[in-house]
Amino acid sequence: MKKCEITLTVNGEQLTTMVAANQTLLEVLRENLGMTETKYGCGTGECGACTVLLDGTKPILSCLTLAAAMDGRHITTAAGLARDGQLHPVQQAFVDESGIQCGFCTPGMVMKTVGILARTPNPSDEEIRHGLEGNICRCTGYAKIVSSVKRAAELMADQSAAE
Amino acid sequence: MTAYSTIGKSIPKIDVKEKVTGRALYAADLKMPGMLYGKIVRCLDHAHARVLKLDLSVAAKMPGVVKVLGPDDIKAHSYNTGVLDLMVPEPVGKMLGDIEDQTVFTKHVKHQGDAICGIIAHSEEAAERAAEKVIVEYEPLPVYLTAEESMQPDAVQFTSLKPGNRAFQLPGEMFPNNAYGWGNVDEAMAAADFVVEDTFYVPKQKQCQMEPHAYIALFDDGGRLQCWTSTQMPKCVHIKLARMFDLPMSRVTVTQTVIGGGFGARLGMIGEPLACAMAMAVPGRPVKVLYTREEDWIASESRHPGKYWMKIGFSKDGAPVAVDALFRSYKGGYYTQGSGVAFTTGSWLGGMYKWGSCRYHGETYYTNHAPCGAYRGYGNPQTNFVMEQLVERACSKLGVDPVEWRKKWHKGVGDDGWCPGVTYPSCALDECLDRGAAAIGWTEKRAKYANQTGVKRRGVGVSVMNHTSGAFPMLLEHTTCTARLNEDATAEIMLACSDMGQGAHTALQQIAAEALGFRFEDIHIKAGDSDSNGFDIGAHASRTIYVGGAAVKSACEDARKELFARAAQYLECTVEQLTMRDKIIYLEGASNRSISAQEICARGVYNFVDAASGQRTGIPGQIQGYSSFLPTSNSPPFAACFAEVEIDTETGELTLIELVNAHDVGKAIHPASVEGNLEGGAQQGMGFALTEEIYYDKNGLCLNNSFTDYKMLGPSDMPKLTTILVENPDPLGPFGAKSAGEAGIVAPIGAVANAVFHALGIQIIEAPITAEKILEAIKKNGGV
Repeated sequence: MKKCEITLTVNGEQLTTMVAANQTLLEVLRENLGMTETKYGCGTGECGACTVLLDGTKPILSCLTLAAAMDGRHITTAAGLARDGQLHPVQQAFVDESGIQCGFCTPGMVMKTVGILARTPNPSDEEIRHGLEGNICRCTGYAKIVSSVKRAAELMADQSAAE
Repeated sequence: MTAYSTIGKSIPKIDVKEKVTGRALYAADLKMPGMLYGKIVRCLDHAHARVLKLDLSVAAKMPGVVKVLGPDDIKAHSYNTGVLDLMVPEPVGKMLGDIEDQTVFTKHVKHQGDAICGIIAHSEEAAERAAEKVIVEYEPLPVYLTAEESMQPDAVQFTSLKPGNRAFQLPGEMFPNNAYGWGNVDEAMAAADFVVEDTFYVPKQKQCQMEPHAYIALFDDGGRLQCWTSTQMPKCVHIKLARMFDLPMSRVTVTQTVIGGGFGARLGMIGEPLACAMAMAVPGRPVKVLYTREEDWIASESRHPGKYWMKIGFSKDGAPVAVDALFRSYKGGYYTQGSGVAFTTGSWLGGMYKWGSCRYHGETYYTNHAPCGAYRGYGNPQTNFVMEQLVERACSKLGVDPVEWRKKWHKGVGDDGWCPGVTYPSCALDECLDRGAAAIGWTEKRAKYANQTGVKRRGVGVSVMNHTSGAFPMLLEHTTCTARLNEDATAEIMLACSDMGQGAHTALQQIAAEALGFRFEDIHIKAGDSDSNGFDIGAHASRTIYVGGAAVKSACEDARKELFARAAQYLECTVEQLTMRDKIIYLEGASNRSISAQEICARGVYNFVDAASGQRTGIPGQIQGYSSFLPTSNSPPFAACFAEVEIDTETGELTLIELVNAHDVGKAIHPASVEGNLEGGAQQGMGFALTEEIYYDKNGLCLNNSFTDYKMLGPSDMPKLTTILVENPDPLGPFGAKSAGEAGIVAPIGAVANAVFHALGIQIIEAPITAEKILEAIKKNGGV
């Protein structure tokens, strides 16, 4: 398989790696770069566990994204949202609202939430539920995930007000 | 109410920070020096076939391949991925007929996805490419997708040990006429004023835990077999691997990684035998085996589907004078939990209502589906779908309110529970029914929806359930726990109980803090290491808090007893005179006489001989509490669920409007976790009732092995969900707790089905109740 060198900025850090033309972003993050915080749930774009952020706010499915196409782009993973041990408001909201059980869907849910709130800072219940479609959770029945997203909206608003 | 320091508080769970950053390590996240990759070659094109020829020569020469393994290369005993063989005494196991009918690789394919051979290579990709070069020739065999087909006399036999392909029926030696229950059902049924009866179908539902199965195994240079796995039963896997590979348990280590959901999918073994067999072939090299989602689907276990016949006789006053039932399930290709589900399905039936007489037959036949094993509820969902619909039909005939009927006839304190002879110690089901009915507006809505016309019809339904808190007395119940006090008066609590995401370790930490009288943050739970953890049967039967929690409580009380005994010696008093606040032990009534727990612990560890006096500087020895806990009780939880649905009678489309789930949990140790379990259970229960089933074509090939084609309720499909925790502390559970793990799935099933009945006046007896089935039923009924 043809290989090429790409440069990704992952969580603010510029990284250069050789990738095969058929390698997905998920595979490159997990295998080449050792960033296992992004999860493989299905490999076919159906569960959302592999969601990462493109250019800070756009959730994409890393299992359906070819790594080579991401050359020069900025990627954020769940681990990169937290800074110096301080959780991002969205992450803090999932902690506060018990929106986490087995945790396998959580990184993807967090990424998706950042995306929802970037588009809709003050979403209705319906907008939250609609926005979360594509990310599957089998533990929570979504109840505490929806309240986590609501709480995240509040925390983000508080943060903007403080800035 | 007792005032607790941590019990009953929804403090942040101990693992949430690492989970919310994604840094929690699941098995697939691990990488080891020198690691190889194992790929299992599965039969994808047949559900029943014999392997005529297996040619691995081309695959073996592919770049990056280290070793190829066929069935004849494996030196291991056959096995059973289930664990019932460990849970009953050997003579009972023999009577039940539990068998070991699985091998690492097979020459007789019994379901699509059966494992044929394995490739070990330097990379996942190299292993996959080599797998494509394996040449297999098959002789297709007739495919049996129902018990009725596989039981035919001329059917191909799945194993010589189970003639007629009947994997299990209740054994006649234990149960006359292969049934259990009580009273004379035939006489009572004949004398009944009326009966309700039907044959239902219950679906093959998939657990769909989000983390696909993944393993690393290593046969190290010291001759020890190590396995990293997200099993929910590490100690059962420990002994099963040891037996399988003829190793003493001291030469097998099972390390449990973070579990990405289980719901029964990780009950017993799954891919551990395959990963370990590959590792044994390449000593010194760790081998990683990752299941794709598709593999997880077609090769791992699911719920038992099948036909479920039930007949209930009533007297005019509504008394349920007799119940008679037969659950005949489709086992799939291997035995696994054959005796378990066929058995317990009837337990939940017998334990629910005050049946005048009861007779239950449970049996299961091999079929060419992926094997059925454990799935949340373990037979209870099936019973709920059937029993609660028939009860509803009877209430309709009697003209009585379904809530009132249930209040009158459900079993309660002092009645026999799921095992005859073992009575319920507590029951708050009436309160669940009252509070649930009030929350959904039962009386008003039942009246309002009684005489609807128009295209869209609404209905409200109710269902109740009982479950279990551990498997006592039917199956082995045992958890050991060590509570070791550090020299700074913090504690390590060591036990093998699993946290599958339900928050069990947090709740166990709360129990430890409470029992020791220490702060929550003083406690560390050390689990998931078969070398340092003692025996625990594993996470099943909703036992972790009821039994595991009791083991933690007992070990911590043991440690606290020693702490107080030493304090009494230091303070020259009796232990009865002592109290502890903020980890300082005081002599009551003499505030100037005290000693800190920290000083007692430190002086036990850093214990010197004083040079001048020749005396020890304090009481020597590190304090360690221990419990090898075997419960003598079972305190089942109860629940009442209410559902409201709206049905479009032209399209059959069903919309879930609201679900109220009221649970008798005893005492919620960590309320947010209990709610979370029940809410997740509700999603799965509504899925069972409405959307979830694995479908196969006539050749036994799976038609929906993906999240797109297997429909689970998504965030927008979920109704308004209200969870009510009814707290009525149980007299026997640790701090009053009963179980809440599995229970959430059960009652929503009957509630949704009964809401459909209320909306349409028609019962749909085949789950899942899809739009197609609704339309067909309306048509058959000549409209609504």
